[in-house]
Amino acid sequence: MARRTADQITRLTLPVRRSLQLAAALAVAANLLWLVQAGAVALAIGGVLVPPALLTPAEAALIFLATGALRAVLGYIGGGIAFRASDRVIAGLRARLLARETREGPATAGDTGGAGAVAALAGEKLELLAPYLTRYTPARARVAVVPLVILAVAFAASWAVGVVFLISGPLIPVFMALVGMAAQDASERQMREVGSLNDLLADRLAALADFRLLGARPALIAGFADQAEGLRARTMAVLRIAFLSSTVLELFAAIGVAMVAVFLGFSLLGAISFGTWGAPLSPVVVIFLLMLAPEFYQPLRDLAAAWHDRAAAAAVAEEIAAWEDAPRAPGFGTGGAAPALPGPFSLTTRGLRIRRGDALLTLPDITLHAGETLALTGPSGAGKTTALMALAGLLRPEAGEIRVNGRFLDDGTADGWRTHLGWMPQAPHFLDASLHDNVAMASGDDVGAALDQAGVAHVVAALPAGAQTRLGETGAGLSGGEARRVTLARALHANPALLLADEPTADLDAETASIVAKALMARAAAGMALIVATHDEGLAARLDRTIEIGGAA
Amino acid sequence: MRPLLRIFRLMVQSQRKALLQGAALALVVLLMGAALLGLSGWFITAAAAAGLAGVGATFDVFRPSAMVRFLALGRTAARYGERLTTHDATLRVLAALRVRLLARAAALPFDAMVRARRSAELNRITADVDALDGIPLRLILPIGAGLAAHGLVFGVLWWLGDLRVAAAILAIYLAGATAIMAWAGARAARPSARAERAAQTFRARLLDLLRARADLVVHGRLPAETEAARAADSKRRALQAGLDRTGRQAGAALALVASTATAVALWIGLELVDSGALTPALAAMGVFTAMALAETLAPMHRAATELGRMRLAAVRMDPVLDAAPAPVAPPAPAPIRSAPVLVLDRIALHRPGAAAPVFSGLSLRLAPGEVMALTGPSGSGKSTVLQIAAGVSAASHGQALLCGQPLADWPEAALREVVTLVPQRTSLVAGTLRENLALAAPDVDDAALLAALDTCALKATFAARGGLDAPIGPGGAGLSGGEARRVALARALLRRPALLLLDEPTEGLDRATAEAVLAGIRAALPEAAILIAAHRAVEIAAADGYQAMT
Repeated sequence: MARRTADQITRLTLPVRRSLQLAAALAVAANLLWLVQAGAVALAIGGVLVPPALLTPAEAALIFLATGALRAVLGYIGGGIAFRASDRVIAGLRARLLARETREGPATAGDTGGAGAVAALAGEKLELLAPYLTRYTPARARVAVVPLVILAVAFAASWAVGVVFLISGPLIPVFMALVGMAAQDASERQMREVGSLNDLLADRLAALADFRLLGARPALIAGFADQAEGLRARTMAVLRIAFLSSTVLELFAAIGVAMVAVFLGFSLLGAISFGTWGAPLSPVVVIFLLMLAPEFYQPLRDLAAAWHDRAAAAAVAEEIAAWEDAPRAPGFGTGGAAPALPGPFSLTTRGLRIRRGDALLTLPDITLHAGETLALTGPSGAGKTTALMALAGLLRPEAGEIRVNGRFLDDGTADGWRTHLGWMPQAPHFLDASLHDNVAMASGDDVGAALDQAGVAHVVAALPAGAQTRLGETGAGLSGGEARRVTLARALHANPALLLADEPTADLDAETASIVAKALMARAAAGMALIVATHDEGLAARLDRTIEIGGAA
Repeated sequence: MRPLLRIFRLMVQSQRKALLQGAALALVVLLMGAALLGLSGWFITAAAAAGLAGVGATFDVFRPSAMVRFLALGRTAARYGERLTTHDATLRVLAALRVRLLARAAALPFDAMVRARRSAELNRITADVDALDGIPLRLILPIGAGLAAHGLVFGVLWWLGDLRVAAAILAIYLAGATAIMAWAGARAARPSARAERAAQTFRARLLDLLRARADLVVHGRLPAETEAARAADSKRRALQAGLDRTGRQAGAALALVASTATAVALWIGLELVDSGALTPALAAMGVFTAMALAETLAPMHRAATELGRMRLAAVRMDPVLDAAPAPVAPPAPAPIRSAPVLVLDRIALHRPGAAAPVFSGLSLRLAPGEVMALTGPSGSGKSTVLQIAAGVSAASHGQALLCGQPLADWPEAALREVVTLVPQRTSLVAGTLRENLALAAPDVDDAALLAALDTCALKATFAARGGLDAPIGPGGAGLSGGEARRVALARALLRRPALLLLDEPTEGLDRATAEAVLAGIRAALPEAAILIAAHRAVEIAAADGYQAMT
């Protein structure tokens, strides 16, 4: 599993490998400039102890400052390259997620969570890849180079200092690997908690009114408090591991530096005579080595600090992989605007079988011409809605065929076919836009006539901002029946050749139901074909034919 | 700054001890770091000088080297403690804030509650609250600790070494950091807030896309809406790139400030050694201390670029923090036993600004065990009458009595024990069937839950799906409209209310089921008064009488 994770992160970052290498090279170069800065300080301070000084104080200060400026510039450029690389990776993944979720529809199986979880993955979770790319990758490159260079320099000056580095250095990666495993585990748990908290919140916020009416508000808040506390505990578990690992590393580093400092101090005082290549160490070399010692450990510590970035990125990569593996039930076509499908209107189906979860739904054959009306009836859950979706090309049948205007319904014809359709879903979802825009659906026209025909014009006129009112996601602000009639207005506004209506009279009182039925029948009399999935026997009786669904399933 | 400080004050109020501890530890970390490097520089240079002078044998190595070890280990421990304390305290405050936000959303007036778009609320509880963690962790605590550390280090360097070196270090750090923070903060404020807004727009659009996908496909708008979502993300990306540039510029400039301070300390210090005013060891102490103080700048550039986002989130918390604490609920009025369960006496509803009342002069009384249907065309105010009877809306005229006591006198909790309204729109929550039913009655055993299901003709429906453990998707996904409706009715039955208000209860049910369910409800609650906003003959037939609205 660790291997798979590593592969997944690598796969995600493959397109920007070159940029990341360049950013890493710049980070290494900037880091090595410290040798120049340390040299300048050592020469200057050593110079006043053992004259003559090679550098005047002003010269040394200038070299230190100029090198520091160069380091800052390299850091600025390298950081920019790394940022752009990570931005590309994240934007690419986000675009892919967006494209797939919209084009192929939601996952039909697997543990990818609801719309809230998908939104969380596409939003803040993908952002967790950024620290991995901009911090972890350069840190890893520095670990591969900088300590080795410093080790070589240290050995050249004093083998004892080199030995201290050589012994204490490798302990760090070993320890880090151990911590890394625990960190990834904790990160994954936290990530799941974030996703489920989002889903839970979205779900509960939608049901707030129910909670209130059931007197369950205190229970709701208490339950959420538990969940929020759980998230805090999980986040702290991740942080604790991260903090602990960097503390232990700091400890290693501190011990190593202290050993070097003590050795250098004693050899300066003449109390120790081993550890050098013959001649005693000069103050310049000692100060230089002392300044290098922390830098030997620094890349390792930075890598450890970024280790938890890697764990978080790995957890995200796992989630992306699960998301990609989840099966989907795409429909036909792109769902985009298209030229209307030519030909006289007709709809026939033969031997349709549609997958619904684990079961296959068998649909009776349907033939429909312009102006004909058909009722689909059957017990709740028999598959009436599924049948309507299949006729709109929103599902691909497992077997059988659908012919529309004399042509097979497939990827090439579906978008054109849908320009002829009116669609009235059972549970409307209103976009975060004005009521007018929700009815017009980008056609921009005046929707007054459609609202009027749907018997809802007076209701819309009474809204706070009329047709410019923004509705809640499920049409809150209107009664259920009013919201349903707004979706009827939307369907009629499209001026369809065929209207597919799912329970169009549900939520309506007898009088308004008859207004709706009349509107539908009037359009049918004017040549519009109509298929209605309904429980309403009165409505079904007014249509030309009735087909019972679910009898033979 | 004011909104940020307000959030910080709130944090201090609830986590005073932990935050004080964290601030103290943050200061200790910085001071020990400065002392460690300063002492090491002094120690090595002094040892070199002693060795050269041939007095190495009398040089006290042990106290300074013990001190070096103490500082190194102490700083490590202090840093661990500081991070743990401040993060834990911050996360605790944020968790409490999330709960407070949800509680506020749950306390909105009924009208506003059903109208609110949940994505805005969701953003506030998640993304906005997340953005607030930088206020203590990356802004106030580090800046506070950094300023204190610089002040103390200045004093010590002046005392041990030389005023000129100490003053140069302090001046360069203070002036440089202030200028850079002011520049970057001003430059990043707007883009940072706008980037956050664009991110939230993207999220809202994405949720729209996912939830209304079928509608968008049929209307041929899927690619266009997808493009709109992508555009929101592109905008965020462009802003983010600008912010990143500002952040890196600030980072480079801050690094340059640290280099300048070190270089100037080196130059002045060694010039003073030349003139005999300072020993080499003390000059080295100044240089190494200046180097160590770079640590105080580390969190700054990120804080500068985050400032706008933090401020936006903090401002959005204002309405919550402004809200007055909930008043203490008055005691529930004593129900009058002989009184009818519900009396509406000539009530009327005038909407503000509307010419004509929605309805007026409506009177009705309901005794225990009585079932009444309320009839009338859509828009005649049937649902509003039920909301008034449930105490979630108020009539503009007339009197409404529940068990003989004015509805306005009933505190929320007591009211919910007596009245249950099943509105037209009901939502189920993700979980199991049992969890959904338990919302209404947390302490009821399975037998009672099953009985309620049976009453609502649901027992057979769920038998094949795992009974009470049947899974229910978010928002009731997986159930048909009629099934969800009946679960909502079963939930209401479990409340065993004295007054049951049903708004078009048999919607989506075929006639036989509707009749069975209505009869079952009546049999299950023989003592309850039931008022039905009816639109179907079957609902009117189930009632003892009806009241027509026009």
